[in-house]
Amino acid sequence: MITTQHALIFLLASLLLALAVALLPWGQVEREWQAYQRAYFAGENTAGEAAVRQIIPRLGLDGQLTTETRPELCLTCHLGLEEISPSHPVETFGCIICHGGLGLALDKDQAHTGLRPNPADLSIAEQSCGQTGCHAGHTDPSRNHLEQVTRSLQATYAGSIALVRYTFGAQKDLTPHLGIVGAVDPQPLPQTVPALAVFALTPDSLPAETQFAQNCLEGGCHLTEPASFQPYRYRATGCAACHVLYNDEGLYTGSDPTLPRDEPGHPARHQLTTAIPFSQCNHCHNRGNYSLRGMTFTPRPDLPPVGAPLPATMPPEGRRLREYYQPIGQFTLCEWELDCIDCHTQAEAMGDGHLWPDQKTMQYVQCRTCHGTLSEPPATARITDPNDPALRLARLNGHYSLEVGDEVIVTERGEKMGGVQQRDGQLVQFGKVDGREYNVPLVQGSQCQQQPDQQESRYCHQCHAYER
Amino acid sequence: MLPAQNPAHSAGLSYTLGMGGIAVIAALLTTVTGALLMFYYEPTLSGAYPSLVFIDSVVSSGRIVRALHYWAAQVMVVAMVIHTARIVFTGGYRPPRDVNWFIGLGLLLVTLVWNFSGYVLRFDASSIWALLVGTNLLKEVPGIGSTLYLIIVGDQALGPATVLRFYTWHVFGLTLLGLGGIGYHLWRVRVDGGLSRPDWTAGQPGRFVSRETILFREAMMALFLTGGLIILSILVPPQLGPSADLNRVGSQPVQAPWFFLAIQWLLRYVPPLWGGWIIPLTGLVLLALLPLLDRRGPGRGRWFARERWQPQAAFAGLLLLILVLSLLELFQVK
Repeated sequence: MITTQHALIFLLASLLLALAVALLPWGQVEREWQAYQRAYFAGENTAGEAAVRQIIPRLGLDGQLTTETRPELCLTCHLGLEEISPSHPVETFGCIICHGGLGLALDKDQAHTGLRPNPADLSIAEQSCGQTGCHAGHTDPSRNHLEQVTRSLQATYAGSIALVRYTFGAQKDLTPHLGIVGAVDPQPLPQTVPALAVFALTPDSLPAETQFAQNCLEGGCHLTEPASFQPYRYRATGCAACHVLYNDEGLYTGSDPTLPRDEPGHPARHQLTTAIPFSQCNHCHNRGNYSLRGMTFTPRPDLPPVGAPLPATMPPEGRRLREYYQPIGQFTLCEWELDCIDCHTQAEAMGDGHLWPDQKTMQYVQCRTCHGTLSEPPATARITDPNDPALRLARLNGHYSLEVGDEVIVTERGEKMGGVQQRDGQLVQFGKVDGREYNVPLVQGSQCQQQPDQQESRYCHQCHAYER
Repeated sequence: MLPAQNPAHSAGLSYTLGMGGIAVIAALLTTVTGALLMFYYEPTLSGAYPSLVFIDSVVSSGRIVRALHYWAAQVMVVAMVIHTARIVFTGGYRPPRDVNWFIGLGLLLVTLVWNFSGYVLRFDASSIWALLVGTNLLKEVPGIGSTLYLIIVGDQALGPATVLRFYTWHVFGLTLLGLGGIGYHLWRVRVDGGLSRPDWTAGQPGRFVSRETILFREAMMALFLTGGLIILSILVPPQLGPSADLNRVGSQPVQAPWFFLAIQWLLRYVPPLWGGWIIPLTGLVLLALLPLLDRRGPGRGRWFARERWQPQAAFAGLLLLILVLSLLELFQVK
């Protein structure tokens, strides 16, 4: 017989179950990713459906093509994130292959387990950029970028360390023995050193070495060290220090709703580029002056606050002119009109696999490389091999075209500079950052009387220094 | 399975605590939610953990179903331990219910292994640690250790075969044993003359409760339990640790599932054969011996009957020991 008590208990039990079921949707309140997608659609002013975004990359985590890759849901939150580069289409690579993490998770902490926020940091680049078959493990050493960069002066800083140690009596000559990172070159050249040990402070270190390490190496000039996050200096570490562009404010300007737009310290966009403007180089170079005597760094005083409007009297290239060189620096028109990478080659910037003792020795592009000297015109060569590295560099850059049959400048080390081409009897330079064309005048046939053995820029500056 | 009329004495919550019923309902809940999880779970070395992440993150109501599976399984263990205690403290193991006592102990064992295998199938950092310890214990069994290891692990070391074997046992072998065992256990209750109770006192009329009333109680219990577990699952979803790396197993301190904490503590201080096998099995054998040592006499069907103080004291001591060791281990790791 059903009593009131029975009915009450049943009511109570049913109510509890109903409450539990009613709470179910609450247990699945708007997930983080749904909020991000809402923010994205609002930001883009489009109506989109909040849905899980899935990529099934074509490359396995070992970098090989496979049909057994796992879906990655990263773009569910990072909807609108820029594709890293045309060479790394996200549909092929996915995200995990470079960034690690758990692609199937939609919970932030879980998804970011084992995340490599900057996969290009040299300490972990072997797992990402430097995976065998990517930018390592090639028979052509010039494609093993990770190895070359790790041995480059940008990473080792060997020349400056040697200079400081020599100046203060810690070593007998300027031959470098130490680097920010240790490195070994199995096939050294006569001008290069075979190995570098890691520069580390010991109880026997001189006070100057300690000061140097503390004042000059932190937040500074080498690829392993994070930049000090302040205006004009934002950059990442490792490969991304150059190939991922930061604006002077360090603010993200892309469309990923998870990245704050007002928090300095983010790259301008989630993009790799080989068209690196001077401003990116400037985030390390031309920032100020080091004093060897005081072992201090003095930031240059002439930079206006970031974002400050240009004076009305300034020419369109005013910002470039203002930021490029310090007031004390002398430069020619092409030295500020062009970008650093228009003259300086890949091997100069990223190393060539050898441990060069200092910047002066490893830097070989000079004015005469393109302008020639009184006694000889600049060296040129015709591209004949369809696999010529110059063709690949042109393709990756995208701002200038180069084809088999084109005649281009050749450096003293035999690299073809695809950006400077012979066109109808005239040398033409194509800006690698903006594609602008410049006619390259030659010394021969001009009024220049510069001696062929005096080719450093300081000699050229005597006549060609550009007045600000 | 129930007769039309049942003695009122043993049909109330104050006597049974309802724990047997709760355990059965929890078992059914784990079975249903487990079946749902099978649609998405991938029993492979590289796929297990990601598939759980997928269930948690993407699958519609996946997180709640997994949470419910987890909590129902925990409740099942707790309910069975309390149920076992109830049997001991009311003398329910005495003949003719001794066979069912053994069945019950077997079910307890099955439940622990069932639960443990589920813990392992999570395949996160802490669960593979437990897997490593648990399977290495197999090797300690004299004589047949390595064969046992091969049978359960499926290889010379933990690998793809292990996951598949644990999965198969978890969803097939142990489910069959568990649900089949429960069915038999319930049927035996009827065969043995219902739940234990004192002998009828001559001259006093027996009070009875109808089958419908008991069924109503069970149904209400099921409703309350399901509702409570859903709320618990919403409020406290089970965590998933970092993904497992078989090459780095044991490099960080992790805990065994809570019901094996005492054994984990033992393993720290005594040789594995003793800590992992002899001592726990001795405890189990002692429990199994109860109906053989305490067979008849007054005190049946009453909680804490003084006439049977020895077995109750022994059992309480055993329970206390497990509790203390578990707490010791808990705070050791913390």
